[in-house]
Amino acid sequence: MLDQYFGDYITVAAFIAVGALLVGGGMFASSLLRPDKPTKVKSETYECGIDPVGGGWSQSHIRYYIFALLFLIFDVEAVFIFPWAVRIEDFAAAGLGGFIFVEMVIFIVILLLGLVYAIRKGVLRWE
Amino acid sequence: MIDYHALAPELLLAGTVLAVLTVDLLRVEKYWVAVVGLFGLFLSFIPVLTLGFCDTLTFCEDTGTRFLFGESYAVDSFSLVLKALFLGSAFVAVLLSVGYLESDRFWQGEFYFLMLSSVLGAVVMASSRDLVTIFVALELVTGPTFLMAGWRKGDPRSNEAMLKFFIIGVLSAALLLFGMSLVYGTTGELTFAGIRAEAAGIRGGDLEALFTVGVLFTLLGFAFKVSAVPFHFWTPDTYEGSPTPVTAYLSVVSKTAGFVGLLAICYLAFRDATFLWGPALWVLAAASMTVGNLAALRQTNIVRLLGYSSIAQGGFILVPFGAAVAAGVTDVQLEEAFFATVTYLLIYAFMNLGAFAVIIAGGNRLRSAEIGDWAGMFGYAPGLATMLAVFFFSLAGIPPLAGWFAKFVMFRAVLSVGGGWAAALAIIAAVNSVIAFVYYAKVVKSAFMDPAPEHVAVADLARMPTVPSLQFALVLTVAGVIVLGIFPGIIAEIGELTKTFASGF
Amino acid sequence: MIITQFVILGAALFALGVYGVLSRRNAVLVLLSVELMLAAVNINLVAFDAFVADRIAGGQIFALFIIAVAAAEVGIGLAIVLLIFRNRRSANVDELDLLKL
Repeated sequence: MLDQYFGDYITVAAFIAVGALLVGGGMFASSLLRPDKPTKVKSETYECGIDPVGGGWSQSHIRYYIFALLFLIFDVEAVFIFPWAVRIEDFAAAGLGGFIFVEMVIFIVILLLGLVYAIRKGVLRWE
Repeated sequence: MIDYHALAPELLLAGTVLAVLTVDLLRVEKYWVAVVGLFGLFLSFIPVLTLGFCDTLTFCEDTGTRFLFGESYAVDSFSLVLKALFLGSAFVAVLLSVGYLESDRFWQGEFYFLMLSSVLGAVVMASSRDLVTIFVALELVTGPTFLMAGWRKGDPRSNEAMLKFFIIGVLSAALLLFGMSLVYGTTGELTFAGIRAEAAGIRGGDLEALFTVGVLFTLLGFAFKVSAVPFHFWTPDTYEGSPTPVTAYLSVVSKTAGFVGLLAICYLAFRDATFLWGPALWVLAAASMTVGNLAALRQTNIVRLLGYSSIAQGGFILVPFGAAVAAGVTDVQLEEAFFATVTYLLIYAFMNLGAFAVIIAGGNRLRSAEIGDWAGMFGYAPGLATMLAVFFFSLAGIPPLAGWFAKFVMFRAVLSVGGGWAAALAIIAAVNSVIAFVYYAKVVKSAFMDPAPEHVAVADLARMPTVPSLQFALVLTVAGVIVLGIFPGIIAEIGELTKTFASGF
Repeated sequence: MIITQFVILGAALFALGVYGVLSRRNAVLVLLSVELMLAAVNINLVAFDAFVADRIAGGQIFALFIIAVAAAEVGIGLAIVLLIFRNRRSANVDELDLLKL
């Protein structure tokens, strides 16, 4: 059983080897064929074609943090909706559909109250 | 269908939490937030009473212990008593906060929202009968308190208190979860009843080692929460740096919630594994009492002193658990130990909240928490100094104040087990009671006998009034400590009720 | 089903997280280490869930709750780190030593 289990990994290893060979071989072949003329412009950070502004390690503004935080919380709360969505049909078949639906409405209303609170406190204002 | 009567306290409290948040958004005076919060706490107390006195009420169908959501949630006499304790303590804690928050430019709306959310967690904790519910309840208790600890945003000490508390808090949660995951893995069950049933077959088997590690990590997580030595390092710092009403809340509601979780896990899930948790908690109890009391002896800050004193009190609360160390401990002895812990928790809430109410009232006048500045308080604030004496002597366990009964049942529980280990723990507890008396008495003596220091403007202080909400809190706690001390039968009767829990259901 | 490798992975990740919490000085990295510990617990739970063939998928549900709680904790933690950074211009845990014995 153990042999068979690790045997499966040989396929994975083969895939990794083939992948590395393809990419590495391609890059090696192109380095043989292409002309090699490094300039300053070529080694600059690519920023959609326009000249890059500032360094790559610039700090992002604090207001992104609040949005990131709100996104994170709401994103994770969505995790509770998935199991509910998967199971609601079974409950509906048992005649509990309305009850289960109202439960989720309450859950979402509570989340919305949090959003209203954030808006009222002015954290979502972008100025 | 769901038994809404059994869930009513939680539902009403959750509604209050949302109402508090909404009121905060309206353009009204901010003290309305506190009023709504207090009203909500009172409202959710009513169903606790109707559930408790179900057998005498006509509209209520008495079904004994009510189970909800499979066996995950139980409403029995134990959980009702603890719910009443949490709601009552939270009521006092809100009263303590009102004056404090009004006195300075603090954010009030969010504060009560966070505090009530935390109380909701504690109330759910009392009924939790499976690992998921108990974990969510524990995090709901702890999460908001991180923010409350740092409520003085501009004060670096408050910041530091908050960060230390937070890091220890999440670390302990992770340890707890790791333990729970191993317990789940070895037993395949999440409900306490299921774990107890499965754990019997594990002893002596392949999985015993893994199960042992799981149990110990779970205990470790709770040990952080109840700040038992050697997991207490955050406690004095957080207590000193937090706003004092938050400290009062942490030392009573949050700590009691930790003990309730520990009680439920030890006496229900790991009931047949006393040989695992008995010795571990024996060590924690002995260390907490000794280290807490010795460190309290040399404190000059009164809040820090109470911080170490609450570590030591936590040790006393753990003593009945530790008594289970003796092999072959009977069910009757375990029930006695359980009864002692619950009784101690009930009395501890009264006296510690009262002590903090006195410290807040005194701190409002003196603007200092140094014990030296409290000298001579009897001269200008005789009422406050007397209450200080009442609460501190109660914490020390002097009759006829409530604290003596808590200590009495604790010793009775240990001695009923008998054997060398239990006797040793009883001796350690006795020695520590004496040490504790020294530092409690030192503060009281200083307040009554020493002259007030030069820089304290005695004449001004004598005229300063105490905030009405604080007066109310003081009256409630003083009455509790004195009445329960003179008539301990009341608390014994309540404790008796909860014994059915320990006998397993 | 073989459970050993999952448990070993979980334990290793957990130990790595503990090491990170104890050795890192930056509060944000401490937070990341705690997340690592929680991830280890999730691996354990989901693996055990499959191993014991839990009828009601208790382990998976537990893992979902841990994910949600961990997100809330990170939210609180980042807010705390931000506040301290504003007040002190540093997120270094070692420098917080105003409160001492």
